[in-house]
Amino acid sequence: MLEFKGLTKQFNSTVAVKPATFTIPDGQMVGIIGRSGAGKSTLLRMINRLNEPSGGQMLFQGRDITALKGRELRQWRNECAMVFQQFNLVGRLNVLTNVMSGRLFHHGFASSMMGIFTAKERAFAIRALDRLGMAHVALQQTDTLSGGQMQRVAIARALVQEPRIMLADEPIASLDPLNAKVVMDALRAINREDGLTVICNLHTLDTARQYCDRIIGMQDGVIVFDGTPKDLTDRAAREIYGAEAEEAFSEAMTSTALRPQPVAQPEARVVN
Amino acid sequence: MSTLTFHAISDADIAAARKRHPKAFGDPFVATLKAASWAFVIVYLIWSLGFFEIGKLLAASDRAWALITRMVVWQDMATWQYANIYKGIAQTIAMAFVGTLLGTIFALGLAFLAARNTMPVGLFRHAVRRLLDVFRGIDQIVWGLVFVRAVGLGPLAGVLAIWISDMGNLAKLYSEAIENIDRKQVEGVRATGADTGRIIRYGYLPQILPVFISLSLYSFESSTRSATILGLVGAGGIGMIIIERFRAGLFDQVAFVVLNVLIVIAIIDWGSGLIRKRFIGERGH
Amino acid sequence: MASVTTNGQDRDPVSLFETHRRQMIRDRMVVNITLGVAFLGFLLWSLWISRFTPDRLATGLPRIFEYFGSVMPTLQWDVLFDGRNEAGRFPPGSIGYWYNDFWKYMRLIWETILMALTATILGTGLAVALSFIAARNCAPFPWAGVLARRFLEFCRGVPEILFALVLVFAVGIGPLAGVLAITIHATGALGKLFSEVNENASMRPVDGIKAVGGSWFEQMRYGVLPQVLPNFTSYALWRFEINVRASAVVGFVGAGGIGAELSHTISFYSDDRVTAVLLLVVLTVTAIDLLSERARHSLIGKESLK
Repeated sequence: MLEFKGLTKQFNSTVAVKPATFTIPDGQMVGIIGRSGAGKSTLLRMINRLNEPSGGQMLFQGRDITALKGRELRQWRNECAMVFQQFNLVGRLNVLTNVMSGRLFHHGFASSMMGIFTAKERAFAIRALDRLGMAHVALQQTDTLSGGQMQRVAIARALVQEPRIMLADEPIASLDPLNAKVVMDALRAINREDGLTVICNLHTLDTARQYCDRIIGMQDGVIVFDGTPKDLTDRAAREIYGAEAEEAFSEAMTSTALRPQPVAQPEARVVN
Repeated sequence: MSTLTFHAISDADIAAARKRHPKAFGDPFVATLKAASWAFVIVYLIWSLGFFEIGKLLAASDRAWALITRMVVWQDMATWQYANIYKGIAQTIAMAFVGTLLGTIFALGLAFLAARNTMPVGLFRHAVRRLLDVFRGIDQIVWGLVFVRAVGLGPLAGVLAIWISDMGNLAKLYSEAIENIDRKQVEGVRATGADTGRIIRYGYLPQILPVFISLSLYSFESSTRSATILGLVGAGGIGMIIIERFRAGLFDQVAFVVLNVLIVIAIIDWGSGLIRKRFIGERGH
Repeated sequence: MASVTTNGQDRDPVSLFETHRRQMIRDRMVVNITLGVAFLGFLLWSLWISRFTPDRLATGLPRIFEYFGSVMPTLQWDVLFDGRNEAGRFPPGSIGYWYNDFWKYMRLIWETILMALTATILGTGLAVALSFIAARNCAPFPWAGVLARRFLEFCRGVPEILFALVLVFAVGIGPLAGVLAITIHATGALGKLFSEVNENASMRPVDGIKAVGGSWFEQMRYGVLPQVLPNFTSYALWRFEINVRASAVVGFVGAGGIGAELSHTISFYSDDRVTAVLLLVVLTVTAIDLLSERARHSLIGKESLK
């Protein structure tokens, strides 16, 4: 269970995230929606402390995440994997090494500096790539891949971390509709099969409705909506998006137009 | 898709993965090559440091410590003959300026003789280029020593050394700039029926002048740096003061002079940056 | 189109243009004349300070030609390739006579190249380590970044030969002082270049490694290093060329290599031995330049193919 207790972030004089208090139970797939600049990304990046919170507290299974330092902080980052909008892979390394870098936390200084990975790690990385259907490019240089392929490699890297939470910061914003679907399906499958908590920033409304158990809407750093996709009426959505509403709706149309078989709508889960 | 944990990976799983993707488990040839080249570098380093008697470094710690102490603790500052020091620095700048200016003037002529598009006679062009190689290949301080032998101690030798090495450097860079110009503009001028002089004046010059000025300014900066050490061989400037006081064991004064030189060089870099911006804008590199 | 003449003024466009033009020329003239005067003033001051006067030049120039005439080798075609005679000596006018000390020079040039190589490897290693601390986007702590930048500035601000002078005093005459001096200067110069390359690297991979729980070292090793390695290699090769030149002159202050022989020969002899050493140095430096340039181009060529 991930608990937020008045978590807030301030950049100089502007407040990016106003004190946020909510709880995410284990195994839930949460979509955070809102217009650009609403503080979605900041909120997500505070969870693995890529952005330092300015105030408040965050607890995972009762452990205070906001107080972690040094090796413990790195351990927490290893436990909650992150997938980025721009993939954040190392373009000049091959795909396999990128995926294996997900296990760097378990390495000693010397072996990580010399880039030595064990056969077990290699086999595990290949299994992860295989799961995403990417094992055939394992030895290719990463920056030769397409965006959709890179995002799948990034998910494979996240998987070899054996995380307990998966954070996804706009995972499909740089992808075409077909690849967006592949990536979202993969995240959904990870959530279902591995029982991982998935917290996902999404720009497109329909994707959030389609894939998530729970939707959190943010506006100007404030959580203005928190409920099931059913609760999110068009009117509520328009309020969240404000002036960008038209854009969000039309983008939603294009990215959901290509959706042949609807993913089995999740059976009702406990949403607190 | 199936869930799998790292711990559950068995030898059989590894073997299966290795069978399907043999290359993913590392190419033994590449791995050996990598390890061998690292080993070579490390062995070379250890051998060469032995060859250069690295042990002397450890043995010298007392002496080095005393030297550093003498450099940091400044004594009898009233007797340091500041006028001499600043005259030396001024002389260094003056030498660099005169040397670079002379170098620039002569390089202008030589550059056109060394560029492919302005000097069609290949044999002559190559002769000029080899001559420039000699000017550049011999370090400025070596030229300094040569000219000290030829014309005696003093700044004249320094100016000549800067002149000759700047001439070599600038002529090469200038000739590259001439070779890289846009042919279309020259053709445009030629199409108006201009003679050779006018083609150079209106076709070449507007394109290469900003590059030339910029290169000469850089050359002036680097000459001020190198002119500080010309004095070590007696070719005038602050270097003579540095070596004199160093030989006399006045290490605190040496530290003071070097500090001053660093500041003056920083000021010159800054000033020449301003001039560059004023005349050719940011693009003129 | 409303013409200029309808502005209520009786001036035609041409005269208006001419007025503007004259004004502009006048403005520019003022600036140009000021700068010209400043330039001339500086030049005169420089000529006076450096005592670069026509009479000195007039007395100096003939002596230069005289000197260069005396150091040129006298080669005679008929004995050019002759070996040692019965007395074990080369006949005057042969290459063997000119390069009597050839093997001594070669040994020193070999030492010079080794000095440059060792200094380049050591300097590159130190510069890589320091460049990550000195780059503004990578520095683990801001104060460490400031400290590293100041240190690198000092290292590259002081010329090699000054470091060599001091180190010869500290560790004694010999190549060790030269290697250390060149290492220090190369560390400063390369560290600055490397840290600029680091500052231009994309921070996204770094974020990625940070998010998997990588330490600062792992962020640099996997996030930054793969991006910057080709540039580092190219700069290091280029530095090797410069270091060869430097190690050929640190011997002037007793820090090993061919420099000591060069300085000794030029200072004490004015015969063909001077040109013999100088020619060897020029050939070595040019050969290393060519080799390293070729290596750099093939490196960059490979890069651009990707």
